[in-house]
Amino acid sequence: MKRAGAAQRLPEPPEGEPGARGAATRAARRTALALAVAALAALPWIGNTVLVQFGISVLLLATLAQGWNIIGGYTGYPSFGNSVFYGLGAYGVAIAMVQYELPFWVGMLLGLGLGVAFAGLLGLAVLRLKGHHFAICTLGLALVMTAIVSNLEIAGGNIGLVLPLLRSEVLFYELALGLAVLATLTVLWLSRSRFGLGLIAIRENEEGAAVMGVNTTFYKVIAFMLSAAFTALAGGIYAYHITYIDPVGVFDVVLNVKMIIMAVFGGPGSVLGPVVGALILSATAEVLAARLTGAASLFFGIVIVVAVVFMPRGIAHLVRHIGPAGWRYFIDNVRTHRL
Amino acid sequence: MSESLLRVARLDAGYGEMPVLRGVNVDIRAAEIVALVGGNGAGKTTLLRAISRLIPSQGELRFDGRSLGGTTADQVFEMGLVQVPEGRQLFDHMSVEENLQMGAYARRDKTAIEADLDRVYGIFPALAGRRRQLAGSMSGGEQQMCAMARALMARPRLLMVDEMSLGLAPVIVDSLLDTMARIRSEGVTVLLVEQDVHAALSVADRGYVMQIGEIVREGTAKELESDPDVRRAYLGEIATASSPGRAARSRATGRRMED
Repeated sequence: MKRAGAAQRLPEPPEGEPGARGAATRAARRTALALAVAALAALPWIGNTVLVQFGISVLLLATLAQGWNIIGGYTGYPSFGNSVFYGLGAYGVAIAMVQYELPFWVGMLLGLGLGVAFAGLLGLAVLRLKGHHFAICTLGLALVMTAIVSNLEIAGGNIGLVLPLLRSEVLFYELALGLAVLATLTVLWLSRSRFGLGLIAIRENEEGAAVMGVNTTFYKVIAFMLSAAFTALAGGIYAYHITYIDPVGVFDVVLNVKMIIMAVFGGPGSVLGPVVGALILSATAEVLAARLTGAASLFFGIVIVVAVVFMPRGIAHLVRHIGPAGWRYFIDNVRTHRL
Repeated sequence: MSESLLRVARLDAGYGEMPVLRGVNVDIRAAEIVALVGGNGAGKTTLLRAISRLIPSQGELRFDGRSLGGTTADQVFEMGLVQVPEGRQLFDHMSVEENLQMGAYARRDKTAIEADLDRVYGIFPALAGRRRQLAGSMSGGEQQMCAMARALMARPRLLMVDEMSLGLAPVIVDSLLDTMARIRSEGVTVLLVEQDVHAALSVADRGYVMQIGEIVREGTAKELESDPDVRRAYLGEIATASSPGRAARSRATGRRMED
């Protein structure tokens, strides 16, 4: 987590570009993003099934990384409890559809409610802990949840639940895309709103934020609940898509580690970083798995280590700051972090 | 004394089960500079935290005639009770200007905020040239200025400055003390919490001396500066013969000062 801490910097404001040029750049950027989203939405009609499958996985991971970005990147609380929200979202859909034969969207609402309510209660209890203590506490909780759900009859115990099969990759893809866009728009709003500024202040200096009139407890809990909302919805889509869930599978801490790696790789506290991080790392893992099979995770590990050494503040920071310095950007990173 | 801006009466406060403050009485009138002095661990910061409603307390807390019982920290802040915390607690990775903007976080009057920025830069000209500099990269004195400027951006009615002089060179402390007088002249009441008794009393109108959670002396700054017990305990002076009447009067409360 030390790396993540070092990587958390302010989203640097676009340096002094008010006026016509700034507005033009912003409009151009907005158009480019809208086109990118449109292209992504059209992908199922262009690409093949493998690509669409890969797209669903990347978009769900992007949503998870973005959800973690809200509590970890913006607020500065390294949560290991997000996999719990994911599991609750998945079980919300599964329980509603299997045990009560309710429609999918009701299950999504149930999962959303479970995840958000749990985040609220948990947040009130553990968001007073900081740094490593917070991380360890949420990690412990994630492990406990697996045990609890394994013993719930309504959740199918440790055998899990089998959901009705829906063969529509396109629907899942568009749902995942919609959710990822919604999560990213929410983070975009955070980056320019008073609420988001309050979260950044908490990350930068919680006591300083408190003496400047930020109701820190309230802000932290809301951020945690917001993070949980997107994570739970992603879990719900995953459950219906994969059609079979069990406690060990959906309350998996490894998934939480993935969220963190992707958010930190892309740039915690930035708007697009986590999405780009999810895409690049998923693609890398996919290519490595295809080429190297057995040794894939070893090489994936090397990619992560190299990234952390040469660009510890993520891609978002790299893109903004590499310009004038060129390759010296990497050398400077190595030097300032004494690696 | 009916028009006191802040009235603290019979206040008890502490952390969890541990009581720190016992029966504290403090009165601050509008446009005063009041010093709250005492050694390490006397409970000064605890009193500030109780006033800011960051920790619970029993007893009377009244600001501008309104009871603070049942209010939260951010409500008290919006009423105009603003702290410059010990250790400054700046946002180190943000620029000076962003720090000042954070001071105005609870405000929504955009045009007035712009005007206040200019006003505050007028009070601290050294900051005006460093708007874009990261707060954490400045000197200790400049950081203290930035912390005070940030607090002023919140339009305080009572500014509570905790351990301003800590770790700063005397010449910088002096210039900051001059600024206090300037701030007061703009109608802001100041509560100066200090271990540096001499510095605090040099600019204050009145003062309170605190020891082990109790107020043991109060009076005008002049009275306190010439009080033999205060001089002995805090101003590094060997006791000179004082009048017997005075010694007898201070015996009850003064005993603790002798250690």
